[in-house]
Amino acid sequence: MSRTDLAPTATQRSAAGRSYDALPVWMRLAARDLKAGIGDFAVFIGCIALGVMAITAVGALSDGLRGGLARQGMELLGGDISFVRPHARASEAERARLATIGRLSETASLRTMARRVDPRADQSAQALAEVKGVDSRYPLAGAVILEGGANFAAALSGAGAVVDPLLLEKMGLRVGDELRIGEAKVAVTAKLKTEPDAVSDRATFGPRVLVSMATLQSTGLIQPGTLIRWRYAVALDNGGSNPTPAGLHNLADDVKRDLPEAGFTIADRFDPSPQLTRTLERLRQFLTLIGLASLLVGGVGVANAVATFVDKRRKVIAIMKSLGAPRGLIFRVFLAQVLAVTAIGIGIGLALGAMVPVIVARAVGEVLPVELTFAVSAASLATAILYGLLVALLYALWPLGRAEHVSPSVLFRDDVAADRTCPGRPVIAATIAVAIALLAFTVLASDAKLVALSFCGGMAVVLGIFAGAGRLVPLLARRIPRARRPEVNLALRSIAAPGGLAGSVLLSLGIGLSLLIAIALVEASLEAELTGRLPETAPAYFVLDLAKSELAGFTALVNREIGGSTVQSAPMLRGRLVAIKGTPVESLKVAPDAAWVLSGDRGLTFDAGVPAGSTIVKGAWWPKDYSGEPLVSFEAELAGKLGIGLGDTVTVNVLGRNLTAKVASLREVKWDNLSLNFVIVFSPNALEAAPYKLLATIVLPKAASLDAEASLAKAMGQTYPSVTPVRVRDAIAQFNGVLAKVLTAVRVASGVTLLAGALVLAGALATAQRRRILDAVILKALGVTRARILLAHAIEYGLLALVAGVLATALGSLAAWISVDKVMTVPFVFSLFAVMQVLALAVALVAMFGGIGTWAMLRAPAVPFLKSE
Amino acid sequence: MPPLATLRDVNLTLNSRAGPVAILRNVNLEITAGQSLAIVGPSGSGKTSLLMVLAGLERATSGRVEVAGEDYAGLDEDGRARVRAANIGIVFQAFHLVPSMTAAENVALPLEFAGRAGAMGVAGELLAGVGLSHRLTHYPAELSGGEQQRVALARAVALKPRLLLADEPTGNLDTATGAQVIDKLFELQRQSKATLVLVTHDERLATRCERTIHMADGRIVADRLGMAA
Repeated sequence: MSRTDLAPTATQRSAAGRSYDALPVWMRLAARDLKAGIGDFAVFIGCIALGVMAITAVGALSDGLRGGLARQGMELLGGDISFVRPHARASEAERARLATIGRLSETASLRTMARRVDPRADQSAQALAEVKGVDSRYPLAGAVILEGGANFAAALSGAGAVVDPLLLEKMGLRVGDELRIGEAKVAVTAKLKTEPDAVSDRATFGPRVLVSMATLQSTGLIQPGTLIRWRYAVALDNGGSNPTPAGLHNLADDVKRDLPEAGFTIADRFDPSPQLTRTLERLRQFLTLIGLASLLVGGVGVANAVATFVDKRRKVIAIMKSLGAPRGLIFRVFLAQVLAVTAIGIGIGLALGAMVPVIVARAVGEVLPVELTFAVSAASLATAILYGLLVALLYALWPLGRAEHVSPSVLFRDDVAADRTCPGRPVIAATIAVAIALLAFTVLASDAKLVALSFCGGMAVVLGIFAGAGRLVPLLARRIPRARRPEVNLALRSIAAPGGLAGSVLLSLGIGLSLLIAIALVEASLEAELTGRLPETAPAYFVLDLAKSELAGFTALVNREIGGSTVQSAPMLRGRLVAIKGTPVESLKVAPDAAWVLSGDRGLTFDAGVPAGSTIVKGAWWPKDYSGEPLVSFEAELAGKLGIGLGDTVTVNVLGRNLTAKVASLREVKWDNLSLNFVIVFSPNALEAAPYKLLATIVLPKAASLDAEASLAKAMGQTYPSVTPVRVRDAIAQFNGVLAKVLTAVRVASGVTLLAGALVLAGALATAQRRRILDAVILKALGVTRARILLAHAIEYGLLALVAGVLATALGSLAAWISVDKVMTVPFVFSLFAVMQVLALAVALVAMFGGIGTWAMLRAPAVPFLKSE
Repeated sequence: MPPLATLRDVNLTLNSRAGPVAILRNVNLEITAGQSLAIVGPSGSGKTSLLMVLAGLERATSGRVEVAGEDYAGLDEDGRARVRAANIGIVFQAFHLVPSMTAAENVALPLEFAGRAGAMGVAGELLAGVGLSHRLTHYPAELSGGEQQRVALARAVALKPRLLLADEPTGNLDTATGAQVIDKLFELQRQSKATLVLVTHDERLATRCERTIHMADGRIVADRLGMAA
């Protein structure tokens, strides 16, 4: 085909022209104008694209993880449906009932110490491990993959154990070595590479050890009251057709009806880890808010771009008006252009955001709990589009509204009175309507409505403060007495001048910096709380599965090893809250921040007296020798959220039977002292007949050395092999690791806000560049050297960065203080180092953008600017 | 008396898309101290370029430019800026006040950079001298064209320069306002005994100078002494 074949014929062109003519006049004018001036909207498009990208990326990542959960649901769950219960193994009858659904596989997980067979005195002598015993059918879906491709069933035969390489490394063991678990000696037969159902059976505190159920039995660790998680996975036998969510729900309901006392926590392949799904959803909502912050910051760039655009078009508008165009038409012409560039920005943002999961999967795919899928849901796309559109309109309508008020006299006299700065009433009303719609959508899209509302309010206040500061700083700069150095005066006059950069710099960088400072300080406070305060008040160890009969001996052993230690203990069982006031918890609607109490099993205890760290706020404690109907004391705040009052009944499934008790008191609990605290405390007569073990804490004297601690750990392991001491510092380090990952995600999202700010700043500087070049050229003509101009600029930018930094520090600290002290009730810690890091970033950004502008300015030849136009 | 400014075989060639364009061709000129000199000629004859070369704002492609004993050839951009600060005041057709500064601040600017004490006070006096004592705190955008040019005049003479360069100073003003500004320019030149180089296309205005050179096509085509009576 030749080039001429590709070129439109005259007939085609006239057809295109005809269809163009068919468009309404405002659309034709908008298209023509936009073709000529699309370059004016680069920053506008960039700001919208960046914000939309952030929100799309958050949605796409969440969709990807959920998609992964759903697609690999059967493998992750180890079957189509699973039934989990602590302590009590399913009875023969229960197992028989579950087996009627399909193929059944049983696993049991517990925490214990893995010990070296040869005695060693160092840290490698023993390590906390999560042992999982599996039957011969395990896994029903997916496969356990071992390093070197060894066969799983063969690896478990005899007393074989498949071990996480981390544990082997920690203990200095290799495949072929032996290790002791409980009373049994097991042989390490292979290294574990992949455990298919790791998401459902999370190994929280230690690396995994997989053994056969028979081997687990031989450890002697399965005893009444021991903390064991019994899990029954069932693969449906339905001739290859996939089950439906409704079908699995019905199955679950049938089992609940047939086994009313079983108290299983049930999950199915469509939501294999409700806890993970819930966490993801909360994180998605929170990160979407941060994405919204970047859009709101980018909105400043939108407003600037539209204002500059309208300003450049003043003569065009005046010409249109002189030719008889009504105001409404002019508004439509410009609104159509704004909507068109918004659509471009949104399109770019959606495309980039949807690509983020691909990048994340490549970069950190290995550490994600599930394999990401690459499909963005329509809801995520719609959310990003709506946010992009609403924010663009929120910021564009106001400057756009001024376009229709440009006077045609601009054509005759250049310096007519300034245009009206306030748009007409319809535009003001539309702006308010858009703001309300944005607020409503943000709040409705979030489960934590109060958080979303506070966030929007906070953003409005912070925007207002920085906008106000942007106006105040020039006024103050004008009032500062003249300095001796002319460079300082030059900088101050430049800040004070109408159209100076103070407003742009403060608004563009302020919000991003405030967010980053708030996050840095929240992180610093949490870290200080988790690590700094520990030696004073917290125990060094939590001890699981201590038998009542062992308590005295155990306490004596601890004190023999390290004198002056304190051992405190409380009975502990795990149970699931199944009904409140007779209503099954599945039918209850509770606040999202209380739902965790109902979602799985919780630790329970019984006590004759009020536990230490608790204060009764309502009702009364039972008498010491109470023997009436079972009573319970509930934590007051959660009780409020669950609608539980004095005299109400709660039903808890413990050890496979339902126990209903009356609420006798409500307690306030001090959670932050890491002592033994429980949400639910029963009267002793309700539970003391049940098989139970103790949960204990060991508080060591301050002077205890690490060597003494290692020796204590070894002695505990040797004398009480079935007892599991969890080192608090290790557990906290583990938690810190998770927290750090979440905070990294939050920081990346907030970084986008700063990036949006940088883009806004770059746009503002580019707009001001011509004026600033002219300023510099005049100064050069007056005999001022480049070094002095550079110094004046450095002072100007430095002062603005300083004001932005100080304000951001104040607002960020306030936000962090509210979050930490008021919401999380953790003491607020101000970290100068964290703040300085963020401020250094601010200075670097301003220096970079200002520097680029100044460099271009100093290089600009003077003559073209000085010669008359 | 030695000349205040000397141009020897000065050429200025600029590159355009169509190729090199000769703006000034072999210009030779000596300007005596205290003299008033008009440069006239049609548009594009090189008048303003010659002024820019004299000011050191444009660098000659070849030839020698010497002002107040300083040879521009040996000076970089900042060196030429220092020569301007010490010796030259410039008035532009488009005024070129710093828009972010008030009238007084604009006039004080060269004084401050020269490290003169009481710069704002001096600026006030200078503005009073051009009839603008009531406009000290106004920004350029708040001043009329004539007022802006008078501020520019006050700024140009603030450091009592030996060489006063004016590029079409009335080009953006109406006739009456232009006349007032020109009167003020000559008055200030007389008071300060500065050398004045005035670029104009107005032959009548040129006759108010002691010497007039005519330019055409980048060359000096005529050089006449004598003022109108």
